[in-house]
Amino acid sequence: MRTGQTTIAAAASVRQRTPGVTAWLLMAPLFLWVLLFVVAPTLIMLVYSFCERGTLGGVVFKFTLANYAAVFDATYLRIVIRSILFAGLTTAVCLVMGYPVAYHIGRSSEKWRNILLMLVMIPFWTSFLIRTYAWMTILKSEGLLNSLLVQYGLITQPFEMLYTPGAVVLGLVYTFLPFMILPIYTSVEKLDNALVEAAFDLGAGPMRAFSKVIVPMTSPGITAGILLVFVPALGLYAVNDILGGGKVDMIGNIIENQFKGNARNWPFGAALGIALMAAFGIAFWFTGRRQATVQTS
Amino acid sequence: MKRIASLAGVFLVAASVLAGCQSAQEPPKEINLFAWSEYVPQGVIDGFTKETGIKVNYEAYASNEEMLAKLVSGAQKYDLIQPSEYTIEALIKENQLLPVDWSKVPNSKNIGSQFKNLPHDPEHKYSVPWMAGSVGIVVNSEKVTEEIDEYDDVFQEKYSGRIVVLDDPREIVSWALGSIGKGPNDVTPETLEQVKPILAKWLPLVKVYDSDSPKTALLNGDVDIGIVWSGEAAILYNENPKFKYVLPKEGAHQFVDSLAIPANAPNPEGAMAFMDYILRPEVSKLISADFPYTNPNVEAQKRLSPEEKNNPASYPPGDPKLEGFRDIGEQAVQIDKIVTDMKAEG
Repeated sequence: MRTGQTTIAAAASVRQRTPGVTAWLLMAPLFLWVLLFVVAPTLIMLVYSFCERGTLGGVVFKFTLANYAAVFDATYLRIVIRSILFAGLTTAVCLVMGYPVAYHIGRSSEKWRNILLMLVMIPFWTSFLIRTYAWMTILKSEGLLNSLLVQYGLITQPFEMLYTPGAVVLGLVYTFLPFMILPIYTSVEKLDNALVEAAFDLGAGPMRAFSKVIVPMTSPGITAGILLVFVPALGLYAVNDILGGGKVDMIGNIIENQFKGNARNWPFGAALGIALMAAFGIAFWFTGRRQATVQTS
Repeated sequence: MKRIASLAGVFLVAASVLAGCQSAQEPPKEINLFAWSEYVPQGVIDGFTKETGIKVNYEAYASNEEMLAKLVSGAQKYDLIQPSEYTIEALIKENQLLPVDWSKVPNSKNIGSQFKNLPHDPEHKYSVPWMAGSVGIVVNSEKVTEEIDEYDDVFQEKYSGRIVVLDDPREIVSWALGSIGKGPNDVTPETLEQVKPILAKWLPLVKVYDSDSPKTALLNGDVDIGIVWSGEAAILYNENPKFKYVLPKEGAHQFVDSLAIPANAPNPEGAMAFMDYILRPEVSKLISADFPYTNPNVEAQKRLSPEEKNNPASYPPGDPKLEGFRDIGEQAVQIDKIVTDMKAEG
């Protein structure tokens, strides 16, 4: 993807002209959208995070730092760390499972490629919640999987699968796998086969060709895939509630509870949200910088 | 058949024309109802609209706090809301409700006296009880054979991993308070300190936290014992009488979900017409049929089938000790934190 951007940038520099009125008009909806739905809500959240709790929910406009102090309380830090571990594990499993699939799709003939891509997208045709509930009927102790295993004598007692951390990771991987496959696929599709052949011709084994040529060339897709999986996996709490039995809170549950649960503590919910955004921002900036240094070196 | 249909059509048109004449100076013919999801049968809404010509816009929420969040934001004005008892108390304290003009709700005479003048609406000025219920213990008697009649009986080591509870910090803390002889509203920093070790012992034994449909885990056989809404227990009992409902002898939470009119309601007249309509015994009976909670309408109770009346979860036998939740203000933040903490511990 990065190579794509540089070619566009190069083309623009050849023609070298400032955007005209039409260009601005075409861009206006996007700017407006970002302003209304990204900038404005974030600013509201930022303001709320420094306010005091209102009795019926809402906020009282009195400045306080207490909400941010509470974010760094051991209770919530522990939950943040656990959420990061779950999201990280999900991302790693998605990468290991998704990369070969994406590579295979990207390398197959055009006819097959479209069929395979379609198969990756089909789950999106059904609501995510319904698909997650479907997993419940598969995993429950009198469910599909347990009855099959018992019937074929592989196990004697139903095996506890639903309401375990494993079920949560399974649900998350299932939900986010396409978000790993699709960006990697776009990178693989653009991969110049001549370079891979050159690596082999120059004596590189399959492992070496993969790690020194294929992975670096598809790294934009890998980075995009990791971001597209990790960030939403960290915030998604529905899978945790449905397949995990709500036993272990994720950071998303905690934020939701501040608005829709007993506490009615909007300012604290806003502070948690802002803190999480800040953490992402810093992580994103670091990866961006690392990539830049890798490329220049 | 066709002719009857067309005749009916003519009548409907005539009726609506007449209705239109009658109400020349009446306010807009619609009400915005903001109620719990899946708690108002479509048949009741249709019946009301058919009779009065008032359109009902039904918007749903999943928790009292979610309702408050939208109400306070003021983005949408509602004519009727359906808060539980402690939320009504909080709304009254903040002057957010309109008093009901009982002369416009003559069917309020059907409300059982034990559901009037409760602590959350002591002068019976603001709310019409919709359904009441309790939070009690459900036991799959095929799997759990011993006598279970108090909270401590549920949270035993031998039932570890076989328990479902509501995913609701306030409820969970109220059970722990009950087990040390306190009422559900004895919420002070001291009592909260006392329940911490109890929760630390209890919560690791829980397998599922679910407020939306705790019956699912019991029906699926993933758990054998639970503390759930009485309506869920009633449905389980109807499904299979092996699911027994027990109200803990320490006392239990009785919730009363009621209709109330927000202070800024655009059509309070329409709202009161709806209140009166659902208080008719034959309409109230329809609500009971779909949601087997305790019907606070005594006239409707008389019309229930024996099966409905004998469901021990809907109408618990004897004289159980029940108490409503009060508004506990800032303490709710502490409760939320303690339960979050204890869950993370497990």
